Amino acid sequence: MGEKIIDVKNLVKTFGDHEVLKKIDFSVEKGEVICIIGSSGSGKSTLLRCINHLETPTSGDILFHNEVVKNTQKSLTKYRSCVGMVFQSFNLFDNMNVLENCMFGVRKVLHLSKEEARTRAITHLKEVGMAPYINARPSQLSGGQKQRVAIARGLCMNPEVLLFDEPTSALDPEMVGEVLSVMKSLASQGLTMIIVTHEMEFAKNVSTRTIFMDNGYVVEDESPEILFNHPKNERTKEFLHRYMEAKVS
Amino acid sequence: MEYGLLLSSTPGAEGSLFAWCAFLLKKYSGMFLSATWTTFYVAVIGTIIGFILGFLVGITNTIVIHKEDNPIKKVLLHILKWIVAIYSEIFRDTPMIVQGMVIYYGLRQNDVMISSVMAGILVIVLNTGAYMGETVRAGINSIDKGQEEGALAMGMSHFGAMMTIILPQAIKNVIPEMGNTFLSNLKMTSVLNVIGVSELFLMAKTAGGAYYKYYESYMVIAIIYLVLCFVINRILAFVEKKTKGRKDYELATEYITGD
Ligand SMILES: Nc1ncnc2c1ncn2[C@@H]1O[C@H](COP(=O)(O)OP(=O)(O)OP(=O)(O)O)[C@@H](O)[C@H]1O
Ligand SMILES: [Mg+2]
Repeated sequence: MGEKIIDVKNLVKTFGDHEVLKKIDFSVEKGEVICIIGSSGSGKSTLLRCINHLETPTSGDILFHNEVVKNTQKSLTKYRSCVGMVFQSFNLFDNMNVLENCMFGVRKVLHLSKEEARTRAITHLKEVGMAPYINARPSQLSGGQKQRVAIARGLCMNPEVLLFDEPTSALDPEMVGEVLSVMKSLASQGLTMIIVTHEMEFAKNVSTRTIFMDNGYVVEDESPEILFNHPKNERTKEFLHRYMEAKVS
Repeated sequence: MEYGLLLSSTPGAEGSLFAWCAFLLKKYSGMFLSATWTTFYVAVIGTIIGFILGFLVGITNTIVIHKEDNPIKKVLLHILKWIVAIYSEIFRDTPMIVQGMVIYYGLRQNDVMISSVMAGILVIVLNTGAYMGETVRAGINSIDKGQEEGALAMGMSHFGAMMTIILPQAIKNVIPEMGNTFLSNLKMTSVLNVIGVSELFLMAKTAGGAYYKYYESYMVIAIIYLVLCFVINRILAFVEKKTKGRKDYELATEYITGD
């Protein structure tokens, strides 16, 4: 077993009286590719956002290398520079071009030199096939291209873990493939990732562990072979069954 | 010969509008020039400081108070937001001419010997701040929240994200409105004559009063305002066009690979 990077302990998150996450416990080891699946509203995004503290947990802790992540700017800055996030809506900076988007965090958060930032940016933009577009503005790119830039921007920070919240859900179907193939290649390079997704094929083929969430609980946390072929829980079976039906029709 | 006469003595009761305008302009050229300058710098200084105030007001209005923040910070933020709300309400709901009187005489009666020019600038600053605050708030809110999250998620602070991502875009969006505000301030300086600021309006009143030629005298400053605003309008249009930037981009061909 690899080295433990993130530990989620007794995580509870409520919005008003609505308890969205109910005592979540799980940990992430180096090199794991964890896919989180589950129906809409089950709390997947909230879990991911709590993991990098975009939402402050109501109770419970997030541990990073066995240390509790404190809710101070200093400790959050350090933590978030190691745990990147890719969003469904890309969230690229509209006032910067592609190259500047990728250099931004390296300069402003890691405080590295311009040369280093540029080298990293070009390297990772090449990796996602977006290097020719360094001068383009986000508004001039397609959804798939934007998402690949967003992934490159995340990689430029040299994160230990990269979180993805439904990275292909906002894309036209013909662009889903290009983003998934980039993610697949990152997985094969051993990057640790937590991916919330509705792409079941991807989860089945690429993840090393799949988590099924329902109604704020982690219902099943298994290898994809077991979860997809022999789910133990009734709810998991139902969800997968519904999913298969939707796909056939 | 006739020209010399025109310039040295009054055009007389039968003199044309043009003749009287030229006469007044010549006779009071120094005063009109200095009044134009006063109008201009009161408007410029008042507007610039007003913009800064407006940005502070606008930013304050967009601060979100989180439940998890520490109690002292929460209380201070609430107080600050209240002060800002009351201030902008007062200055948007009263006429500038009245504000001028209240501030100038109010301060002087309380032994703050402010000059009329300083009081005039102060009135413009406070007015601009109140209006720009609204514009800036709307400008900031129009920038999609996701970009700030993108910055936060890589380790930027709220403040850092505001300064590097949100504000630059918000400023770009409010530039046209900033231009309008400046032009409107330039014209609104005219109300400052009531507290004795020697700007164009007061000058016209003085010059016109000397010969009982108000029509002609105000025509002179109308033209001065017109020329000033026209020139500034052109400059602003140019700046706005410049900030729009290019629509296309160049492919970095050195990175295009065979596949
Ligand atoms: N900021 C918020 N304020 C109040 N309620 C929220 C907030 N964010 C999420 N919720 C609620 O929490 C629940 C879980 O939301 P979440 O976005 O985590 O679901 P999800 O599993 O990601 O769903 P989807 O697959 O549709 O993205 C939902 O009922 C949602 O309405
Ligand atoms: Mg979601």
